[in-house]
Order: sequence, then structure tokens, then C-alpha cells
Amino acid sequence: MAAANPVIGLLLLVLLVIAVVLIVLALRHRLAFRIGMRNVRRARSRTILLILGLLVATTIVSGSLVVGDTITQVEVHYTVLGVGLNDEIIGNESPSGAYTPFAYSVFTDINATHGHDPSIAGMAPEVVSRVSVFDRTSGIPQPGLYLIGVNANQSSQLGDFVADNGSVVVGPGPGAIFLDDLAASELGASAGDHVLLYGVSATPVPAVVQAVVQDNLRGAFPTGGVGNYGSVITDLATAQRLQNLSGAINVISVTNVGDQANRLALAPSVSATLNTTLATLPAARGLTVQQVLVNGLAAADSAGSSVETLFLVLGLFSIAAGAMLIVGIFVLLTEERKGEMGVLRAVGLQGRELVYSFLFEGAAYAAGAAAAGTFLGVGVGYGLTYAFSIFEKVPGLPANAFLESFTVTPESLVTAYVVGFVLTIATIVVASRRASRLNIVRAIRDIPEPPPALRTYTYLAFVGVAALLLGTLLLLRTYSGTSDESYPILGGAMMILGLALIASRFVRNRLAFSAAGAALLVWAGDGSLHTSLLGTAHGGGIFIVFTEGITMVAGALLLYAFNAPALAAGLLRAAGGRNQRAPVARVALTYPARRPARTTISLSIFALVVFTLVAIAGVGATVDASLGTTLQQQSGGYTFLAYSNTEVPDLPGLIAGNTTLAPYISTVVPFDHAGVYVNVSGYAGNPYSDDLYAAPANAPPSSNFYTTNQYTFTATENGLSGAQVFDELASMPDVAIVDQSYAAVSNNLGTGSSGAHPHVSPGGTMLLTNPATGNRTTVTVLGIMTQSLVSGVFVSPSTATALGVNETTRFLISAAAGADVTTAANLLKAAFFSLGLVVINIANLLATSIASTEGVIGLLQIFVGLGLAVGIAAMGIVALRAVVERRREIGMIRANGFTQGMVLRAFFLEYSFVTLVGIAIGTGLGLLIVWNLTQSPAATSVGVTTFTVPWLNLAIILVLAYGLSMLAVAEPSLRAARMPPAEAVRPTE
Amino acid sequence: MAGPVVVGKDVWKVYGSGETQVTALRGINVTIAESEMVAVMGASGCGKTTFLNCFSGLDDVTRGEILLDGQDLHQMDDRAKSEYRARRVGFVFQAYNLLPVLTATENVEMPLLISGVAGREARERSRAMLTDLGLGERLDRKPAELSGGQQQRVSLARALVGHPAIVWADEPTGNLDEEDSHAVTQLLRQLNQRYHQTIVVVTHDPNVAASCDRTVRMRDGQFVS
Repeated sequence: MAAANPVIGLLLLVLLVIAVVLIVLALRHRLAFRIGMRNVRRARSRTILLILGLLVATTIVSGSLVVGDTITQVEVHYTVLGVGLNDEIIGNESPSGAYTPFAYSVFTDINATHGHDPSIAGMAPEVVSRVSVFDRTSGIPQPGLYLIGVNANQSSQLGDFVADNGSVVVGPGPGAIFLDDLAASELGASAGDHVLLYGVSATPVPAVVQAVVQDNLRGAFPTGGVGNYGSVITDLATAQRLQNLSGAINVISVTNVGDQANRLALAPSVSATLNTTLATLPAARGLTVQQVLVNGLAAADSAGSSVETLFLVLGLFSIAAGAMLIVGIFVLLTEERKGEMGVLRAVGLQGRELVYSFLFEGAAYAAGAAAAGTFLGVGVGYGLTYAFSIFEKVPGLPANAFLESFTVTPESLVTAYVVGFVLTIATIVVASRRASRLNIVRAIRDIPEPPPALRTYTYLAFVGVAALLLGTLLLLRTYSGTSDESYPILGGAMMILGLALIASRFVRNRLAFSAAGAALLVWAGDGSLHTSLLGTAHGGGIFIVFTEGITMVAGALLLYAFNAPALAAGLLRAAGGRNQRAPVARVALTYPARRPARTTISLSIFALVVFTLVAIAGVGATVDASLGTTLQQQSGGYTFLAYSNTEVPDLPGLIAGNTTLAPYISTVVPFDHAGVYVNVSGYAGNPYSDDLYAAPANAPPSSNFYTTNQYTFTATENGLSGAQVFDELASMPDVAIVDQSYAAVSNNLGTGSSGAHPHVSPGGTMLLTNPATGNRTTVTVLGIMTQSLVSGVFVSPSTATALGVNETTRFLISAAAGADVTTAANLLKAAFFSLGLVVINIANLLATSIASTEGVIGLLQIFVGLGLAVGIAAMGIVALRAVVERRREIGMIRANGFTQGMVLRAFFLEYSFVTLVGIAIGTGLGLLIVWNLTQSPAATSVGVTTFTVPWLNLAIILVLAYGLSMLAVAEPSLRAARMPPAEAVRPTE
Repeated sequence: MAGPVVVGKDVWKVYGSGETQVTALRGINVTIAESEMVAVMGASGCGKTTFLNCFSGLDDVTRGEILLDGQDLHQMDDRAKSEYRARRVGFVFQAYNLLPVLTATENVEMPLLISGVAGREARERSRAMLTDLGLGERLDRKPAELSGGQQQRVSLARALVGHPAIVWADEPTGNLDEEDSHAVTQLLRQLNQRYHQTIVVVTHDPNVAASCDRTVRMRDGQFVS
């Protein structure tokens, strides 16, 4: 998804400002510039390694943006194809999505007024509905197909129908139909097949398949999602006959002139003009103009943004790891060059000149790394798109849809480059400040830095006070209400860190920061603490995972950094023994334990990346393992959800009378159904279109909703039990229950959709309006159901009567115990095909949804797994540096009797320790956040409650992270082991 | 006089090849007796450190034979040589070469642990040795927290704690001021006399040489006196 142009402008301005500042500094500090550039050219292989380490953050940003671009393009592409040339639609769409019929004369009048409008290419009267088709040639029935009735003579204005072979086809004429690719696939149909069409009319209409046409046709309608089985195109008269719409239509399709951009631009003015005319036509009462193309493209953009956000937020952990790597690299560079920097300072170079030399050097790396990362991100984006095209099967989209729509916008490239460059250089500026504090004598003589003076702690205490105040302010302003839960969590974390900084002025660092680490872990890791302190009204999305994750990882790292010697001592005791293990273990474990700052940087990289990988894997495994619970919660114990567009007055009776089918079915619950408008106090989007259901009150046990359902509630009025709620729903007027989407709970897995759906609490009220009758009534909500599969409002029978809802078109059906579900579904479809009954197997529907989720989870893991490259690069760089830095120490232990093998083992053990502790922190916290998720109301509401450890994924993550890290340190470790001791012990390098 | 600890026969060491070839040792013949304290002196580049490296087993020789305790050092593989160094050889270097992340005691323990001494015993012996060398108050300090003279004493303790057959010291006073230098020299001599410890000191410092039993001088890779 491309960022908005003003943002691009701002980013470019930032880049320009940085460039100008660097040029001015370079001109004013030429010596520093020269030193910086010489350092870049100093060791080509190391420069390449540095750039590889630095480019990861840019790669992740770039990859996220490219994936967003592509998803947007897919959506745009198929929106355009789906919409066809229907730029505007004139109609009256009910809340359930059906179009209300109106007189054909409206089209005649509109066409008379606007037929010659220079902005309008043409208009077509249409009938758009649903139809069942039986292909007599293939023998396959398919209910629920879209029916599009349109005259054949509209092609000159509205474009042509195009067959799969690319040829233009004219029609359809009387007695002929077109099928789009999806419908043809569902029916196993091809041109020439004889079919029977079943509409509202009691008599089926025979027809011949004239052609199978592409779905980019003028008669196409926005389709997709569950229940889309493709479209059937007939001539207008046939459609009218099928739907009993003699002399009536239900849609007028309008096409603007020009190309897509022009048509988009004209949409608002054309809509306004048409609305004005409609207002003057009595027969057009209730009709409005929908800007189909405009709305479709906006939805496409939104879909792309959501995916982009998901990838970007989860990529933030890897970006943070990349930033830690940059800090680590520059800390090492500063230490490596300490001696020469001391000499430079001794001969008169200012401290800030050293910082500038690092800045210039870093800018060169940043410029190269951002460019390389941007283009590598494009490659990553293509790889993910390729994976999408293989693993993601989206209903209504061909398999190659993603790959064919692979898109990289210049805006995304610019954004990735600027963000990557700025992130890198900002980190470098912070990291290189260390050089300015260099003590000349200590640097030249390679004397270790002394512990910080009391003045440093006083300064830190002031920083702590500021953090405490800011954190308190943030927490107080956000702890109640519905704000994103990330804010109060962040506020609390700032308070804890602030207190630790203040305490470090008065008590030992270990005590202050260990306590802070533990407090951060508890604060971010204890989900029940959030619930009890912050309540459940907070909103938020995927960003909460980032906030909690970063806070917990920070807490664990503080605990490690200030307790590493104790941990190492424990491990050394465990190593013990008389053999060679003890000295090898001592050398290996003492370095990471007693140089915790450097080790913590490496640890943090692994912890951050592994945390994300494990959390994603854990969510996947938990969702998968929770299928049984989810199915139970979502299905209410029923097997099938069935619907028809025409009334089926006595389906229970019809099934009971069918001797073949009856043994397969135990329960059939009929619902009166209509699309209604819902008004909830405080909801900005009123009225909200939703489905309304009402089951008969005194039905026999085999079709009684109130006694057969196993639905549960997440909240009820006055704590009523489920049975009490259903008792009251069956008998009392003006009461309702609603599906889970009405609940105001935080959703840790969403991408933030606050405001998209009205929320209501038990005891609250909502105004329901049936647009078909104009009747309205206010109902009290008795409970919020756990399920959201059958979304909408369930009202008492008397309320439905009051609203004038009396068409029985929806059904919940249970298969008999032991009956084959697939056979039962097929028998149901066959028996009631002529009634247009669409039967959905609830278990299959959920399994498909979960499989799709698993596909996305897999892709996210691959994407986030790129961050492992950061950890591996870090290990390699740290090990390379260690060989140089510890040359004499290696020589000494060799002189004291260490064999080459012992040196090698010591190096591997040291880096194994760092890698494994990082992996352990990431794994533990990743699993903790998944466990928290299973306890959250959002997860409970969808039945994701079976916490599951993804053992296979964990094993893969461990093997990859550990194995590749060991490969990265292998060469430096071998070099250390093979170092001739006589050379190593010499005082000069 | 006691038997020889080190015997070198026609020992040559050549670095590089062709035009860059440098002959660092030219047919060295030497015998160092048990309990002897020998100084090796000579101008920079004369081959002193090469002599120490080759005769201590840190480096290989090009030709010749070096017997330590009667064993030909350069017939040993890396493992055997490492084990020999751990059990029978101690080193003292100009730059101390202490492991900065370990305490004084832990540094001294290291050769004992490598040679298989149990942890508790290694700790006790290391503490005793450091106390004996006047560092009883600095047992748990890290090198950065010690003065140069104290670090060199830790280095001496590390070299001596395993009661090696021979201690090789490469410019042990090179980094020290006059006072510390004198103290370390005295200490070396005392240890030599108290423990009958064989010590070979490569040095530029005539005061160090003066405290030794004998001094050999090198020039162009050969002993000249």
C-alpha cells in the first residue's frame, strides 16, 4: 500500500535535511569526514558484513510495503473485475443485501433525462438476484448462484462479454445463458449444456449455456466470500420471469465515460445528478445511487492497509532487533578503534570530531544498507506473494491472482529507503556518542573504563523522574475507557523504568534493575492483572502484542543483565568435575556473564525475533487445537446452516416427510429472517444493517431453537443463566440476544476495528427497523452470545411479529447421531434444490477459515524469520571481534595447556549460551503471550482456549536459530583455536 | 649440580621462505639444570623470545631437538604438548596476559583446572599461592582492579601454582616501574630458592640478570656467552 503523497513528501524532506546537514558537517569537518570514509574502505569484507547486518530493518519495511501494495492491487484488480463497468448502481439495497424491485419506467425516465449526459457512457436496466441451476448435461445442481438479467443490446455503451478464449460474445438471447468461470466450475458446465433455472417462480426455466464468460464483464456484480458460487447471466426478460418481476427491475447500472481514473473522478458528480433526478420521480421512492467503483476501491485500499499493518507490526520486532544490531556493531567498532581514537584525541582531535567520523562512516553504511534493503525487501515481497499464491486459497480468486498482481509502487520504495536510512542513522548517532566520552589515557593504554560515577546516577535519576511522570500521566489518562490497551501498558512500563532509574541512585544497580525487570515481566505478562486493573473495555489490535512483547523482553533482559554472574556460577557448578569441562566452561561462561552489556545486545536480538516466531506459531497451534471448542461454540451444536432467498414455510415437515432424508436429520430449527436497521445509542455509524432472526416459540422438540441449541453467552443481563435467557427470549416481548460482534472487548489478534461495528452491553437497548414494512421497535438486550457465525440479532417471536418479519428463510439443522454428514448435506441439497436451499457445513466452513489462518500464520513466520538473519549476523560479528580482542588471552590459555579443541569448545559453548538464553527468553515469553491470549475475552469468544505448545515449530525455530548461529561463529572460533600460541601471547597485534 | 630440565641440541628456527626468510635461531645448544635460574639477554630482534617460544613448546622448531624432562617436545602432537604445558610448564609474560573477566584466584586456578585438579583443591592452592605472594587481600579482585605489580604477581602465582618443572618468563618486568620491577625480581629469586624452581627469564633488565644464577647472551639467533 503506498503511503499518501504528503507523507512521501515529508519523508523526502527529512532525507534532504539529513543529507544537507551531513554535507555541511563534512565540509566543516573534513578530517573527520576523511577518517570516516577511510574506515569504510578499510576492510571490504567487514563493510559488506556491516551492510548486511544493517539492511535487515529496511528489508522488513520494504517487504511489508510491497506485500501491502500487492494485496491492494489484488483487491483493486478484482474489485474492478467484479464491479465491471457498474460505476454507479441505482437501487434500493435491503440490509440483507437484496435489491427491492421498482418499475421499469424509472429506467425509462432516468435514461430520458441522462441518456445524453456527456459524463455518462450508458445505462442498463437489470435484475440482480439469486437463482438455483441444475445442469442437466453434467447432472450437477447448484443453488445460490447470482442471477444477472441484462439486455444484450447494451454492449456499445457498457462493454462486451468476453469468452474464456478471448472472443467477444453477443447475447445472451432468449433461452440462452452465460455462466461465469466460477459458476461453470461449480456446475461442471460448458457451452452447449442444457440447464434448468429455478427462481421465485414455481416453474423452472430451461436454457442452454451459450458461453462461459470471463468475470470481467459489464454485468458483473461485486461478489465474493462465503456463499459465492458464481454468476448466471440471462436476458432481462428471463430474469424477470424467474423472479416474478413482470414490468419491474431492481437495479439500473450506470457507466461513466473515459478510462478508470476518469470514471472514478466523475462518480461524485454523476451520483449527485442522478440523485437529484431520482428525487423528482415518485416511482423511484427509496432508490439511491451507490458509487460502486469508488466504494470498492476504498475497500481494496483498506484491505491492503490491514495486511500491511499486520506484517509491519510483527516486523517491528525484527526492526527492533536490527536496531540493537546497529548499536552492537558500533559499540564494537568503538572498542576496536579505542587505541587509535585515543591517539587521534592525543594529537588534538576534538571528541565531537570522532563522533562525526563515526557519523560519516555510518551514513555511508546507512545509505548503502537502505538501498540494498529496499531492493531485497522487494525480493522478499515477491517471495511472500509467491507463497500467498500457493498457500492462500481465497474464495472467488484464481490461484495465480496474487502473483499476477505483484506490485511495487515507487512510493513504497521511497518510504522503505527513507525509513531504513533514518532508522539506521538515528541509531548510529546514539551509538557513536560513546566515542565522544573516550578517556585518552585509558584508550591509548587499553585500560578498562571505571564504573560510572555518582554524578552519572544522579543524572539517570532525573531521567527516571521524567519517565515516571510521563508514564504516570499516560497511565492515568488511559487506564479507563476504551483506548488502545497499549497506552496504559506503555505508561506502566515507563513508570517502572523511571522508578528503577531513580532507585539506582540510592541502592545497588542489581537490586533496582532486577526488581524493575521482574515488575516489567509481571506487568506485561500477567493478563489477569490487566483485566483487573484496566478492565475489559479497552480496544486495540495487533499493536498490543508488540507493546507487551517489547516490555516483557525488556524485563527479561534486565533480569539477565543484572544477574548473569549468578546464572553463570550456577551453570559452572553444574559443569563442575575434574576433567576439561570445568576450565572450558569457566572461560566460555565468564565472558557473557561478566560483560553483560554486550551479551545483552546479542541476547535481545534473539529474544525479540524468537518471541515473535514462537508467538505466531503458538497462535497457529492454539487456533488449530481449539477447532473442537470453536466448533462447539460457533455451531451451537448444529451441523448445518441453511438458507434460501425464497420462503420455505415448513422445512421440518418437508424433511420429516422425506423417507430418504429423514433418518439423517435430527433437528431442523426454522427462523423468520429479514434484513433490518439497528440503531445503538452512541454508535457513530447508525443505522447499522444486520440480520434479524426469530424462531417460533412453541415448536416441537425436534425443531425448537430454545431447547435444542447449545449456544453460550459471554455476558447476560443480571447474570442470567443461558437457559433463563432463552426462556425469556421465547416468551417475552421486545427482548433480543446478539452475536459476539456486538461485544465491546479488546481483540489481541485483530488489526484494530474499533468503530466498525456497534457495541452493546446486556441490559442495553437497540432500535430495530424493518425497512420492508417500516415497523420499528426498541428491544432490550438480554445477552451477548459467544458465537459470531450466525451474525445478527435474535429476537422474541412477538418482536418479529411486531416488526413484520414473517418469512422463514433461515435454518439451523443437526445431522442425526452417527449419520454421515456429507451424505446428509448432499441429500438436503438435492431434496430442496428447487427451493434454492443453500446448505453450509459449519465444521467445513470453520476448518476452511482456520486453514486460511494457518496459511497466513505460516507466511508471517517466514517473514518474521528474516529477523533471525540479524541474530546470526550479530553472532558472527561479535565472534569475529572476540578473536581479535582476546588474542592474548587465547594465547595465554593455550600456554596454560588449553588444546585447540578446548579453545574451540569454549567459543562454541560461549555462543551457544548466548544464543540459547536468547532463544529461551523468546520462547518462554512467546508462549506466555499465547497463553494470555487464550485467557482473553476475545479468544474465549471465538473458542480459542486450548493453549497448545507448537512443538514442531519450536524445534524448527531452535534448530534454525541455533544451527545458523553456530555456523556464523564457526569460522572465527576455528581461527581462535588454530591461532599459534607463540604469536597470540605477544603484546602487539 | 642437579640433572637437566631442558636440553636443546642444534635447534634452528626459520620463518618464511625465499627472500623473506628469517633465521631466528641458528643451531642453539643449551642445557638448563633443575633449580637453576637463568637469564637470557640480548638486543631486540636477537631471537630471545623465539628461543622462549620454541623451548617452552609454544612454537615449533625447524630443526633440532628439545628435551624437556627427557621428552622430545616437538615430537608431541597438540594435545600432548598442551597437556605437557599444563602440568610441567609455567609462563610469565611482560603484559601479564591475565583473563580480564576472571578474578585473581580464578586466573591462578586455571592451569590447575586444566590439568585436572579438583575445583575445591584448585581454589585452596590458588588462594594459598596468592597469599604467599602478598595478595591475600586481593583474591577476588579482577585484573583491572589491580596495579601492574600486583597483576604480575598474579601472573607469577599462576605460573607457579602447579609446581611446574620450569617457568619461562618473557620480560617479566618490562611493564613495571622501578619499585615493582625490583619487587618482582626479588620474588622470582625467592621462589627459585624456596621451591627450587627452575626459571628462565628473557630480559633486557641487567638487574634481573644480576639476580640469576647465570646469564646467557644471544646475538643473531645464537648464544654468544
